[in-house]
Amino acid sequence: MHIGQMNQISRRAFLRRSGQLAVMGTASSWALGLAGISDAAAFSTYGDYKALVCIFLYGGNDHNSTIYPYDTANYDLYSAIRGGGAGQTAGGLTPARADLAATALAMPAGQVLTNNIQYALAPQMTRLKTLYDQGMMAPLLNVGPLVVPLTLDQYKSSNLTAYPRPANLFSHNDQQSTWQSSAPEGATDGWGGRMGDLALSSNTNSLFTCISATGNAVMLSGTRALAYEVTPSGAIPVKGINQRLFGTTQGSAALNTLMTEARSHLLEADYNAISQRSIGAEGVVSAALSQVNLATNFTPAAGRNKLAEQLSVVAKLIAARQPMGVSRQVFMVSLNGFDTHDFLPQNHPGLMDQVDFAMDAFYQATVEMGVASQVTAFTASDFGRTLASNGDGSDHGWGSHHFVMGGAVQGGRFYGQAPQISLTTPDQVGQGRLLPTTAVDQYAATLAGWFGVAPSELSSVVPNIGNFGTANLGFLD
Amino acid sequence: MALDSQDNVARSACMHASPEVMPAAGSASAVHAETRAPQRLFNGAISTLALATAACGGDGGSTAAPGTPGAPVATVAKPQSDSEAAQFILRAGLSVSDADIKSIKANGYEPWLDAQLNSSISQTGTAWLTAQGYDQVTTKAYFDNSYPGDQMIWTQLMTSPDSVRKRVALALSEVFVVSLSLLNIRWPGSAIAHYWDQLNANAFGNFRTLLEDVTLNPAMGDFLNTRGNRKEDPKTGRQPDENYAREVMQLFTIGLHELNQDGTAKLDVSGKPIETYTNDDVTNLAHVFTGYDWDYTGNVNTSDPRGTGRTIPSTQFVLQPMTTDFAKWQRPQSSSQHSDLAATFLGTTVPANTPASQSLKIALDTLFNHPNAGPFFAKQMIQRLVTSNPSPAYVSRVAAVFGNNGAGVRGDLRAVFKVILLDDEALNSAANSDPRFGKLREPVLRLVQWGRTFGATSTSGTWDLGDLSEAGVELSQSPLRSPSVFNFFRPGYVPPNSTAAANSLVAPEFQLVNETTIAGYVNYMTSAIGSGAGRNREVKAQYADEIAIAHDAAALLDRVSLLLTAGQISAATKATIRTALDAVIVTQTSADTDKLRRVYLAVLLVMASPEYLVQK
Repeated sequence: MHIGQMNQISRRAFLRRSGQLAVMGTASSWALGLAGISDAAAFSTYGDYKALVCIFLYGGNDHNSTIYPYDTANYDLYSAIRGGGAGQTAGGLTPARADLAATALAMPAGQVLTNNIQYALAPQMTRLKTLYDQGMMAPLLNVGPLVVPLTLDQYKSSNLTAYPRPANLFSHNDQQSTWQSSAPEGATDGWGGRMGDLALSSNTNSLFTCISATGNAVMLSGTRALAYEVTPSGAIPVKGINQRLFGTTQGSAALNTLMTEARSHLLEADYNAISQRSIGAEGVVSAALSQVNLATNFTPAAGRNKLAEQLSVVAKLIAARQPMGVSRQVFMVSLNGFDTHDFLPQNHPGLMDQVDFAMDAFYQATVEMGVASQVTAFTASDFGRTLASNGDGSDHGWGSHHFVMGGAVQGGRFYGQAPQISLTTPDQVGQGRLLPTTAVDQYAATLAGWFGVAPSELSSVVPNIGNFGTANLGFLD
Repeated sequence: MALDSQDNVARSACMHASPEVMPAAGSASAVHAETRAPQRLFNGAISTLALATAACGGDGGSTAAPGTPGAPVATVAKPQSDSEAAQFILRAGLSVSDADIKSIKANGYEPWLDAQLNSSISQTGTAWLTAQGYDQVTTKAYFDNSYPGDQMIWTQLMTSPDSVRKRVALALSEVFVVSLSLLNIRWPGSAIAHYWDQLNANAFGNFRTLLEDVTLNPAMGDFLNTRGNRKEDPKTGRQPDENYAREVMQLFTIGLHELNQDGTAKLDVSGKPIETYTNDDVTNLAHVFTGYDWDYTGNVNTSDPRGTGRTIPSTQFVLQPMTTDFAKWQRPQSSSQHSDLAATFLGTTVPANTPASQSLKIALDTLFNHPNAGPFFAKQMIQRLVTSNPSPAYVSRVAAVFGNNGAGVRGDLRAVFKVILLDDEALNSAANSDPRFGKLREPVLRLVQWGRTFGATSTSGTWDLGDLSEAGVELSQSPLRSPSVFNFFRPGYVPPNSTAAANSLVAPEFQLVNETTIAGYVNYMTSAIGSGAGRNREVKAQYADEIAIAHDAAALLDRVSLLLTAGQISAATKATIRTALDAVIVTQTSADTDKLRRVYLAVLLVMASPEYLVQK
């Protein structure tokens, strides 16, 4: 339908960029065209559609308040550390055990976790509990950035050559970056983007390989793939170009020239390169989205859910995958507010409710579109938090629990290794900051394998994967 | 101190700072060795300050030096053109006017700057709120609304005569971040106004005082959780909150990695950066920040006039430093909540049972005197005011002044900001015509510059521009509304897949740039320029001086280019813009509506052009 128009735009845009590149003589990688790049196809399963959706919980989600111990023995340990009341009543950071009954997760036959722990989701997460029961959602326990597997003694070792650990642990910005890219702040490509690099050739419009609905993040930038940005309402047109500027067509033309022309100053060149993409792609995206009708409700009964708003546009973009010319996509959305040093009992439940509503709505939308088994969503966050309480909150940690969701997920069971409910056991590095037993690289590699990345190419996506026992955690078909 | 003698400042800065700063250049001969490249600054006028400080930097960078050692040099550097004048003022302040240009050309850079630094603080944010009645308990519930805070900061930025102080305070607000968007506090407007006022009061004072004021500020107490932070409880396992302890080190004072004086990272034997602190330092330092809560001295409770049955405190507690005196808290306690444990961090130990005030002094002194403090702060302030990628020598020169203002004082911010703005790397036209020099103007600065330059007025008098954070629709940035303590953008941000990245440059402000925000900015400005901004478009520019010359398209464009970009719009870009201006037929006798249409085009097209967006 809009293919002709799109190709026209993309050819013009590509030519403009090619010209600019020659002038600049630097940095070929940013000059990515809308047109597909026809080097070696990365994926053996070319032709179908698959998408990964990263749901980033900014601030460091308290996994201890997301997935609670529910069996009596472990609940009591938890309650003793986190200020619970007598007789399994609420107190401190601990909800009453009875309030967890509705979201208790049944253990599948044969699965036994550390100390026979059984878990319940946060009481607000009734929808995710249903998806767990239906086998569409699985928790991954104690995952976090690692360079190599570490024991506590190795973590404490001063031999950083033998036992390297991620730089700048416990620091928000650095661990956000490390989760997304395997390197601290300043990294310029992340594993979503590196998967995108391999997927570029699968997409007619390679610009739409990696799409963010949540602002700039290193996750979606590859060595060639770019993070294309949309808002919950889609792409934003430059009105002064699409319409006459203060009544003049010459004004619009001048505006277009100024925003898209080649520049010799490096920062000006970078700015205009993004302007070009903004102006060049907007028509394609807007036209494609205008054809989409999704019945799934992304609006909560009360209040605003920014995560659902972002996931709503992701769903619409997936619905528009054909006119947009894509068969492999990586998306990113996010929610803020997880740095719960204070007021955790007051604020965290609302966040859990938003995550639950938004993730469920997104899953239902993929069912509506008939692509549930082709779309996998997963959570990530800066870090987990201390099991120890600081009175009304918790502090920066390391390993954390996360969710994977989708029709391809082997759900209804747990993955990874459950940590003990303790401040002193060797699976934590102090105050209950979890020493990860599963690496983010393994998490990413499992997603990448499902996405179509060949085993031989995994190390280009997650450079440390060779240091770990398995690259497939088994939670996806 | 001898701040009015520029010569003195610079020379002493060299002498005092040299042992720690640049050991290789600590001798007088090193200073005089830099006599190569007898290239003159700005057509012969030489800034002695820039020269002397530059020379003590050792490698001298692109600095010119007097042709003959010991020869007398001109004492006052003056801009040689309107463009040079505007370029300087646009870095130092929020906008430039014809009168500013005339003044700085007549008096010279440093005297003009001194006059700005010496001017008293204009009306404070707190006083403005009081004048609006925004600190009163009424049915309007100002105590539960943040819009008075937005109005306060926009009014300050749009109308304050002390624009240099405001510019610097805004830069400080992006390092010492408190966000109105994230305050969980009664009287958020008053709280953020008091915080803003403290940044202004300390902008040209001492870093150490600023650090303590920030630490004890009630809004910061809420934002980074020092308020209500209780000592450890061995019985329950409760630990002190670590948030402030971590961020005061990582973001406010020393950063993550050990730095050389020039802002580059020190490396260990394997070539890796050396972390400045461990998590043990954080957990220990956290003890120092326990036992604080808001000070309710003088508080008057009022019952909510809306009849909610709630009790509303008066604003005192957000205007007074937090206190460890538990008798002054809202719910007075019978014992101190300050930790009595010994705390060891960064090689310093606060002994057990040290009183809270003494613990705080030890901790803040330790951070203030850490060798990282100077380069860490210097580089970020250069990035905010002048260029994203200053040379190490430039950072080193500023860090040296942080270490010693020439009168033996460490942390003299007045001296620091002077050397940042007067440094040769900022003023030397050869240095700043490099295609890597400069920084992207922040969206907030663009809007403020527009308003101030073109005589914007607020119909309501409250500059009701609101929270402009939303990307795609607004500016994706609003003053004092960072999305987290990590500011709107990080000093080390590298735009992925960019020429900046390919050339190993950082571009912090680009963290706000993407397909959405670019379009959102142009759309917002198109509407603001032509129709007005804010609630009911109540903020409108007048363009009086521009209307007067609108019939002369070349003159109009020259003027807009001068005031917005320091005359940096190139001939080619002017030609592009002229095609649009000339499409609107305007003569001297044309109606103002036609003249205005041409003015709108000129302003918008300049503000959308990359030559404007990247401030050089």
